[in-house]
Amino acid sequence: MSAKGKTRIGTRTGLKDNANEKMTSPPPTEKNDGKGRSWIAAGVLIAVVAAAVAISAREFVAMWEDPPIYPGPGITEQFMLSSIAPELAGSAADTEVYVLDGDSPGGTLLILGGTHPNEPASSLTAITIIENAVVNEGRLLVIPRANHSAFTCTDPQEGAPQTYVIETPGGDRLFRYGSRATNPIDQWPDPVIYVGSSGQALAGAEVRNLNRSYPGDSGGYLTEKLAAAILDLIRTENVDLAIDLHEASPEYPVINAIVAHENALPLAVEAALFLEFEGIQIGVEASPINLRGLSHREWGDATDTLALLIESTNPAQGRLRGAINSELILEGADPYYIRAAGQGLLYVPFSDAGHPIEERVGRHLDTIAMLTEIYSSQHGDQPIRISGLPTLSDLSVRGLGTYLDPSIRETDHSPP
Amino acid sequence: MTFLYQAITAGVIAFAVWNLFRERRLAEQMGIALVLIPLLLRVLMIK
Repeated sequence: MSAKGKTRIGTRTGLKDNANEKMTSPPPTEKNDGKGRSWIAAGVLIAVVAAAVAISAREFVAMWEDPPIYPGPGITEQFMLSSIAPELAGSAADTEVYVLDGDSPGGTLLILGGTHPNEPASSLTAITIIENAVVNEGRLLVIPRANHSAFTCTDPQEGAPQTYVIETPGGDRLFRYGSRATNPIDQWPDPVIYVGSSGQALAGAEVRNLNRSYPGDSGGYLTEKLAAAILDLIRTENVDLAIDLHEASPEYPVINAIVAHENALPLAVEAALFLEFEGIQIGVEASPINLRGLSHREWGDATDTLALLIESTNPAQGRLRGAINSELILEGADPYYIRAAGQGLLYVPFSDAGHPIEERVGRHLDTIAMLTEIYSSQHGDQPIRISGLPTLSDLSVRGLGTYLDPSIRETDHSPP
Repeated sequence: MTFLYQAITAGVIAFAVWNLFRERRLAEQMGIALVLIPLLLRVLMIK
């Protein structure tokens, strides 16, 4: 209470009280001591704040560094997306494009990994392709970190780790676990309602979601610039078949599925049928015409490419899971999902075995292999034939780390 | 737009620091200090 306030109370209670209060008031030196103590505390707290900011900043800044990718025997060229879209140059959205040219001409396939960096099988599949695949006919373009900025942060309030480690014969290898959306330090603030370049109205935070930003806008938000650049890549490279790799939570109905633009539906249906023959159950979903802004819709509408999106099962991104940690990310086992499966709440089977990363990457690789095989049979003059890729059964037996061994890349280009 | 939001954040930091030194109660000062950490990380464009 201020001295002024005390005087008013004294006035109300009479002159005598006022006089007593004056007599009992602390001497000026004590007052100064109280103020001095609070200033000392403030100074100490400022120092603590500075230390906390410095320590946490170090961890956050470490996320800006990309873990290495080791180009395999099939890589013939590598360039940055900004070479097609100069507006991305120097920004966190600029990302690497790897090219694998075949010995003979054919069709062109684009594989997009890392649209959502909290779906690790997506970027791991793309990296496995870069480090192992050889293209015999046609051309393959791979973007392993499509939303590069989203690899530099994690989603708030999720408690997700910044990294996870895969054991390889050559030693442990670190990978980045990221966010569903562009890092807010690269694109901020979010609008209340995001009306995208497609005209679709969405919640404001979706302004940083690459797979809601198509067809993109080279003069718009950073994520829209990135979306426009990817679409430019599809146009300039005459991409015939474009595949966007994703994962979904077990309680999400579009899971273990191929989502296809209507132009690519016959291809997706035939691939799903043959995958079933091989024991891989996969659904086919038609891309909704009125759900705008997504890759499978906008790529197919804006270009002649056959646009597809593939989903595998990732319990780490669901709502029913326990804590997110490396085990959940890589082994995909979670007791709460087992309970949820018992109550019929999930769209995929869920047992003690979980859905390990080998299964998820293997499903993606087998689906890509089947899609290219069927595409090649349907387009005899523009085949896309890829070799060197592990299959689901290879991964189940040997583990994913066998195919991501950096020591092999440094010494020998032959597939393991 | 980003610069405008950075300026707003910097303004909030300035008020918070001013209150930190003006406040006499330690518990309140600690509360202000906790608020300062994310604000500083954002104004420095680190997080």
